[in-house]
Amino acid sequence: MEAPVSILSVKDLVIRFNLRGKTLTAIREASMELYKGESLAIVGESGSGKSVFTKAFMGLLDKNGWIDSGSILYKGKDLARYKTEKDWLKIRGKEIAMVFQDPMTSLNPLKTVGKQVQEAIELHQGLKGEAAKHAVVSILTDVGISEPEKRYNQYPFEFSGGMRQRVVIAIAIACRPEVLICDEPTTALDVTIQAQILQLLKSLQEKYNLTIIYITHDLGVVAHVADRVAVMYAGDIVEIGTSEDIFFDPQHPYTWALLSSLPQLGEKGEPLYTIYGTPPNLFKEIKGDAFAPRNPKALKIDFVHRPPYFDVSETHKAKTWLLDPRAPKVERPKSIEAIRAKWEVV
Amino acid sequence: MSSVLKKPNDRIDETLFTLAEYDARAAELGGYSNYSYWRSTWQVFLKNRVAFALLIIILVLLFFTVIQPYLPNQKLPNEIYLDPATKMQLRNHPPDAEYWFGTNSIGQDLWARIWSGTRTSLYIGVVVGFLTALIGIIVGAIWGYVRKLEHLFTEIYNIFDNIPTTVILVLLTYIMRPSLSTLIFAMCITGWLTVARQIRNLIVIIRDQEYNLASRCLGTSTARVITKNLLPYLVSVIMLRIALAIPIAIGMEVFLTYIGLGLPVDIPSLGNLINEGRLVMMSPSLRYQLFFPAIVLSVITISFYVMGNAFGDAADPRNHV
Amino acid sequence: MLKYSLKRILQSALTLFIVVTVVFLLMRLMPEEGYFGVGSDKLDHVQKENILRSYGLRDPMHIQLKNFYIRLLRGDMGTSIIYRPKVPVSVILKGKVYYSLYLGLASIGVSLVFGIGLGILMSQYKGKLWDKLGTVYIVVINAVPAAVYYLFIQLYTTEWFKLPILFDVDKPVSWILPIVSMSLGSMAGYAMWMRRYMVDELNKDYIRLARAKGLKNSAVMVRHVMRNAFVPMAQYLPTSILLTIAGSLYIEYLYSIPGMGGLLIDAIQRQDNPLVQALVLIYSAVSIIGLFMGDLLMALCDPRIKLEHQGGSR
Repeated sequence: MEAPVSILSVKDLVIRFNLRGKTLTAIREASMELYKGESLAIVGESGSGKSVFTKAFMGLLDKNGWIDSGSILYKGKDLARYKTEKDWLKIRGKEIAMVFQDPMTSLNPLKTVGKQVQEAIELHQGLKGEAAKHAVVSILTDVGISEPEKRYNQYPFEFSGGMRQRVVIAIAIACRPEVLICDEPTTALDVTIQAQILQLLKSLQEKYNLTIIYITHDLGVVAHVADRVAVMYAGDIVEIGTSEDIFFDPQHPYTWALLSSLPQLGEKGEPLYTIYGTPPNLFKEIKGDAFAPRNPKALKIDFVHRPPYFDVSETHKAKTWLLDPRAPKVERPKSIEAIRAKWEVV
Repeated sequence: MSSVLKKPNDRIDETLFTLAEYDARAAELGGYSNYSYWRSTWQVFLKNRVAFALLIIILVLLFFTVIQPYLPNQKLPNEIYLDPATKMQLRNHPPDAEYWFGTNSIGQDLWARIWSGTRTSLYIGVVVGFLTALIGIIVGAIWGYVRKLEHLFTEIYNIFDNIPTTVILVLLTYIMRPSLSTLIFAMCITGWLTVARQIRNLIVIIRDQEYNLASRCLGTSTARVITKNLLPYLVSVIMLRIALAIPIAIGMEVFLTYIGLGLPVDIPSLGNLINEGRLVMMSPSLRYQLFFPAIVLSVITISFYVMGNAFGDAADPRNHV
Repeated sequence: MLKYSLKRILQSALTLFIVVTVVFLLMRLMPEEGYFGVGSDKLDHVQKENILRSYGLRDPMHIQLKNFYIRLLRGDMGTSIIYRPKVPVSVILKGKVYYSLYLGLASIGVSLVFGIGLGILMSQYKGKLWDKLGTVYIVVINAVPAAVYYLFIQLYTTEWFKLPILFDVDKPVSWILPIVSMSLGSMAGYAMWMRRYMVDELNKDYIRLARAKGLKNSAVMVRHVMRNAFVPMAQYLPTSILLTIAGSLYIEYLYSIPGMGGLLIDAIQRQDNPLVQALVLIYSAVSIIGLFMGDLLMALCDPRIKLEHQGGSR
């Protein structure tokens, strides 16, 4: 087994937004490695910054946002330094492509589906006219759309949700990217379709040798597709490791809370577990560990100093003072110890 | 920036590594909101300094229009003034200390006429705005709320919408002979349709909004749903309508006067005054008779228009911080 | 598509029928002086009754209505009484239609081109100088009654640019002021729509996806944003036709253009009832047809309407 090659390396990224005069710090020194050929899942609550984080890799931040500090190293270049459209055009599609959450609004309602896919093909595969049209048809077949010639001339509103998402995936694949970012690709779809789309992405990953980042808040999806998992809270990646590391050996109290919330872990007749409180206000500066106010087992130091990464193993690290040798032993909640046993259910 | 430690093992107080007290209330602090609809509306409106300035101007103007007749030394708008020396009609007398805006071609004081005309025009605008809003709201509410009638009303609307309002306005005034009430009547007839449509759209959107469904599920009484959920929207619509109705009404009145269907000359109105000014505008020395009414008219219409729109924007919750 | 067109044609026909009937009924209420012509005060009561009877105005209403429609279908719109006595209305109109048509179409064209251009400009420079100037322009045009700024345009541009004040068939340059004046209102409308639309669309998901594909900003703007913007533009077309008609009443009078608008004003001032009636009918018909065409145009541009016939209302 070869050593994994890191193709994207994010270090201490800080992203801020200007909202009507006030500054919001959406990403607070987040770091992450992405290895070639893997499926990495970024999980977190709504508002944790997952989308913003990945949008920065493609320069798709809203106009009122900017990268304040940190680096995004991709194939030797620091994307955090990219400013002009010309720079970003080298990355978008060609290197990194994105699949958005809502297939209903991702497609131009007034253009045929065929034309929209063809746009991507003409841009990235250098084909034109008939050759491009052929390529569109073949890629529509790849993503599992039947009667592609007929579908070529149809409009998005004539497709169902699942089909539209397949089209969006086709557009992304047509760009022949290295990295594919899927921002909640199945959240807006029926449960039955979800599995199909995930399966599709997996097979496309093999066929085209893609590296995929899944953004999701659904741990079930994570369990199915992810090799590695990054847990995000309040704009920071608080724990990162392989799927087994995160599900069977979580170290950060937030990860514990997240896993405890899995409905499958609930006991019959008992109320379901919820994390009390709300995520912190990102307009204000946060002192210490962002999760501390909501953590019943927080240490005093959590309110004073921000924890750095502590290594749990070669593949696994977490930003929590509990891993410091001086910290007292804190027990993980019993319910998540049972995950290993209930693994099949998750 | 909270302290990022250079060397994690140095200089940390060992006692910090003990369990802290858990304060449940602190967990909630992130999500506090003290939003109040009207306060936010007012705040957003204030931020638009131009609109606010115009609001002040309008208030000053309104105040002045009302008290003008009671100020000392004011002339009557319809009285023909005589030159004390010649005892002839003081025609086309340019502005001076006595007649601040000069006199018109038959010797009437322009200053008094303009303010009287402004009063008339404002009166028309407010009445029309209010009545169209009233009719429009009633019709629109029924249209939007009573589902059975919706299809019928929509078809009727489509038919009426096709009719060119200007032509109808002209026709009605022609038939009923110009007067103050004719004008108001004709403008109301042609104006309520747009309001009805807007209200109906609002109601349809709001009726089906999930927050209303949620309110009803919680057992909120219909009255409370209406006052808390629907009324804020309606109030802003009404105010917007009235604010915009004034420039529209003035515009229609000027138009009708122009083609000979305006108010009779003994009721001064901005339309009349503009028309009178138009007749003499070719000679530069008499142009003041066009300028003064035109300037007053422009200030009024622009102020109401901008302010009305600014208020409409401010009332839209999407613009609240 | 066909089904939708047919539906709209029927709707328009129905509207037309209703409007015509309503106008007809209202016309019966018109001041009777309009039927007697010059020297009406010299006629005695009996003579006046005779005249009214000869016009069929004393017949029962449903007979009048029937006769009216029969005459209309034959192309007979009555005879002018005062304006050009004894001359059929259709003859009077024939000479005038051309001028109004030309004026109307030209000003719609001008307002389309410049209005859309301005709107695009304003959205590209949002918040900066062009946007601010454009906004001032739109506000002034919308707030100040057309009557007023038409006057000022006529007054000052004739002095500054030495353009003719009144229209003269022999001087093509005398077309400029009327067309420009008339197009100002619609231009503001198009600019406002276009700007708002482009700003709104820029935030939509599908635009973000287009960018994510690696499409250049200019290509995104042209191929996706602008092309989509034309659909709601078609929606505005009927309104601008109505505005143009209203404007033409003014402008023709102001510049002495011998078109139908000026005719209507003349007819009103001279109380020539048959002429007023005919013109009102014609203008109503034009508006209704214009609205119908606008809807049709929109259906052509937006495939959703074609295929799902969701008649979007204006």
